[in-house]
Amino acid sequence: MSAVEHQGTVLGELRQAELPVVAANRRRGPAAVKNASVKLLGAVVVTILLVFMVGPLVWLMLRAFSGLWQFPQFLPSTWTVQWWRSVFDDKNLAHSIKLSFEFAPVVTILSAVICLPAAYAFSRFNFPGRRVLLISLFATNAFPKIGLYVSMAGVFYTLNLMGTFMGVVIVQLIGTIVFMTWIPTAAFSAIPRSLEEAARDVGAGPLRVFFRVTFPLAAPGILVAMILSFLAAFDEAQGTFLVGIPNYITMPTEMYTLVLNYPEQAAAVFSILLAIPSVILMSFARRHVMGGRLAEGFQIR
Amino acid sequence: MVLPPVAVVAVFIGFPVGTAIAYTLGKVGGPNSTIALIAQRQHVAHHGVTTAAYREVLGNPHVRTDLYATIWVTLVAVACVVVLSWAIALYLRLSDSWIARVVSALSVIPLFIPVVIASYAILTFYAATGFMRTLAYHVGWHSFPTLGYTLTAVVIGLVWVNVPFGVLMMSSGLNSVPNALIEAARDSGASLPRTVRSVLFPMNVIPTVIVATFTGIYCLGSFTVPYLTGPSAPNLLGVSMQQFFGSFNQPQQAEVMAMIVFVLAVGIGTIYVWANVRAAKRASSTS
Repeated sequence: MSAVEHQGTVLGELRQAELPVVAANRRRGPAAVKNASVKLLGAVVVTILLVFMVGPLVWLMLRAFSGLWQFPQFLPSTWTVQWWRSVFDDKNLAHSIKLSFEFAPVVTILSAVICLPAAYAFSRFNFPGRRVLLISLFATNAFPKIGLYVSMAGVFYTLNLMGTFMGVVIVQLIGTIVFMTWIPTAAFSAIPRSLEEAARDVGAGPLRVFFRVTFPLAAPGILVAMILSFLAAFDEAQGTFLVGIPNYITMPTEMYTLVLNYPEQAAAVFSILLAIPSVILMSFARRHVMGGRLAEGFQIR
Repeated sequence: MVLPPVAVVAVFIGFPVGTAIAYTLGKVGGPNSTIALIAQRQHVAHHGVTTAAYREVLGNPHVRTDLYATIWVTLVAVACVVVLSWAIALYLRLSDSWIARVVSALSVIPLFIPVVIASYAILTFYAATGFMRTLAYHVGWHSFPTLGYTLTAVVIGLVWVNVPFGVLMMSSGLNSVPNALIEAARDSGASLPRTVRSVLFPMNVIPTVIVATFTGIYCLGSFTVPYLTGPSAPNLLGVSMQQFFGSFNQPQQAEVMAMIVFVLAVGIGTIYVWANVRAAKRASSTS
């Protein structure tokens, strides 16, 4: 714990030394404007957020516990937990939950192994075509997924990947590459080279410099990238459905069936279950995501 | 070191996109032979290439309506995301009250929620028996429209999903505006709107462009939100692609639609790249 805090202060001091402006902004105080229009803006923003962002989720929660609920009542007239029982008793659903938790970690680790060295290279070496390559990774976002999966099926059939574990891993992997490259690239770039050079000067080898200096400082950015990748893999439904069927039906894939075929309450229960891992993971990473790690990753330099 | 991710992208995205382009132009041999075996209503080029598939798809009035719906929904959703995330980020920059802390927590909630669930929650919220209609009924507005399964619901869903990214980007941009600049403007008598227009806005252009372009590209290719919350027809091209491939067994037509969306997305992507390169040049010339 103290080591982590220590790194935090080191990074904090670096930032202050390098960018006094940003550091000064950390202490928000002085520029906070006391003004009626700011208060009005706040009221509007809070209302929109509560109704528009939070409302649907609360409504869904209520539905998961509702027995009889008639329009136009704000709350169900009878409450029940029978939908929870029916979801837990369904073997298919339990199996899909287990599968989801198998795929997502495998995909995240594989993605990290493939992308992190590249992220380091992108940030440290200015080779020809560097920017073009960074942007070309972004093409993974620009081509619509369905079109991609349709023609990817051809490649998968040739490589015998259809309906296999590896096939699903690959389909989920391609959705994580942008996060796993861009965000850590920005995280590595934020570390001043002088720090690494200083460690070299006092006799540390390149590996030791990387693992004792570079990696710990970039760790929060890498953590954000890993969590976003985990969630991307965990949420991926379309490609998993096309490639994994009939052997590998994960939670989000099952969700489509549920929404279309089951009583609304069962789908609501399943939704809540599916959201739990995301909520837990994101609450761990919240501070780093909010701290601009994500934002930095999306500005190509 | 750069090779592994580039290779993965080249093999599993670059190559399929390349074969898809060939397929839409009537090339059914090689890597396309498997899919060509099962496809219906295929346009085959015996010599060179043929644009027959493009002509058929673009000549289909349903597809054209879907295309217009896609563009329209994208434009509206992007405008809403930009305005909403600007408003939230601006409030967070100018206020340090406890309400601002609550707002900053609330605005990133969608990051925590899988898109499938968000879509489903939004669908039930705006359904005939949903909260919005219930609320409207109690305040005496009995004819409040049912928004579930409409393009409006699709816009709402897409905005919901994209606001956190917008807020994070805009906040990061606005936080890099020095306090001293804001105070100087205020001290010299600028009103708050004037300060926003002349100081904060010019310094937050790049994040605004990034939010607009990423949201635009996301909306153009989106599937889950329009599939679950949207109407049967017209809906976004992402859904029609799925239908043409899955239900009508016409992969070539689906790929043509993917190309249309891709061209639009590349157009938007160019704006993003141009803005970034310009900003990078400026940064290197000043330092």
